[in-house]
Amino acid sequence: MALGLAVVAQTAAAAGSGFDIKTVSPEVDRAALQKYFQTRFPQSEVSDYVNGIYAVDASSREQWEELEEFPPYEFAVEEGEALFNMPFANGKGYEDCFENGGIGIRQNYPYWSKEEGMVKTLEMEINECREDNGEKPLKWGKGQLAKISAYMAWTSRDKVIEVEIPEDDPRALKAYLAGKQFFYTKRGQLNLSCANCHVQGSNVRIRADLPSPQLGHTTHFPVFRSKWGELGTLHRRYKGCHKDSRSRPDSMQSEAFRNLEYFQAYMSNGLVINGPGARK
Amino acid sequence: MKKFVLITALALAPALASAETFEDVFEMNRGMYGPGHTFTWEGKEYTTDHEEEREAAVDATQANAESLIAKAKAKNKEVAALGFEWKLTRDILKQAETAVQEGEYREALTLAAQAKYHARMGIRQHAYSQSHWHLSVPE
Repeated sequence: MALGLAVVAQTAAAAGSGFDIKTVSPEVDRAALQKYFQTRFPQSEVSDYVNGIYAVDASSREQWEELEEFPPYEFAVEEGEALFNMPFANGKGYEDCFENGGIGIRQNYPYWSKEEGMVKTLEMEINECREDNGEKPLKWGKGQLAKISAYMAWTSRDKVIEVEIPEDDPRALKAYLAGKQFFYTKRGQLNLSCANCHVQGSNVRIRADLPSPQLGHTTHFPVFRSKWGELGTLHRRYKGCHKDSRSRPDSMQSEAFRNLEYFQAYMSNGLVINGPGARK
Repeated sequence: MKKFVLITALALAPALASAETFEDVFEMNRGMYGPGHTFTWEGKEYTTDHEEEREAAVDATQANAESLIAKAKAKNKEVAALGFEWKLTRDILKQAETAVQEGEYREALTLAAQAKYHARMGIRQHAYSQSHWHLSVPE
């Protein structure tokens, strides 16, 4: 009976605190997540979570620091810069599409577009810029798009993430909540949620891997993953993770993934951009 | 006080006992004995076979195989619309269709049953998640 009452009490408490559009509070969520990780890993500074698993696992960090002495993404950033500065056939360029010429703006993405009623990501706007100027869009996951995005992240290093959820448009909060729900929902044949690995399971071995904490997830993308042997975007990673739960994964830049990025980026508010990163 | 606890426990006992659903009992028996086992629940006998295994236990004909493949495809369309489609289901359906082309109707029935089961479980997973996703959110 005690167990039954405890379950009922837990469900009632949870149901009343941030799981529907009337009660959800991104700031409360962000504080709760930080508190969770501070309790789990008291030796780690919140600001260090931009470094993923290396913020909480000392031996992985040692290897990563050595890797960072000659960062594997360095050439990709240089290529990204060249691609960013290469004019389109009409003579215009990426700098004409973005605020501040596209320099030092990564921290403002993703954002809620009131006009379009959707979450807009940096990669999405890079491709929109191309199409608006008569160029073909680039593939979402890797290659040129990842390199351009990496360069833009590079120019934004140390800028504080300030993702906003405008209060005057309830659709923005709805998108945030959808992202939150996606993150915490179990799916796929393995019945796993993102949170199973990246909240409760962070720094707990899955075979030889240690899943990273969700706090700070979006700060360092695109990343050069040793497993990929190249640079990849956040949505490439989302697709891979989704597939790892044995789900048929969503498409990159789908509404579900953009909302997920919105939620995750908000959780990283106050941290700094440190992309591109290097990961195992 | 002891008397009160006893009376309360007795009063709640039937409610707690009935909290065990058919699904709980089915899954427990399935887990323990596998398919083909018989168990009793609320006075009636049931087998541990999945719905799809019963559907596949028909004559191995082309018509039966194609019919079950069609049912599995429809169910998978349903789960895909919910965003909970499982990764391997489409490949299993393709294998089932190949088996039909090769005249391996028993194999096709087994594969179609498996695909339909995946889809049905995905739908169940979606329903469960709607009321339980919040349980792992840090507070």
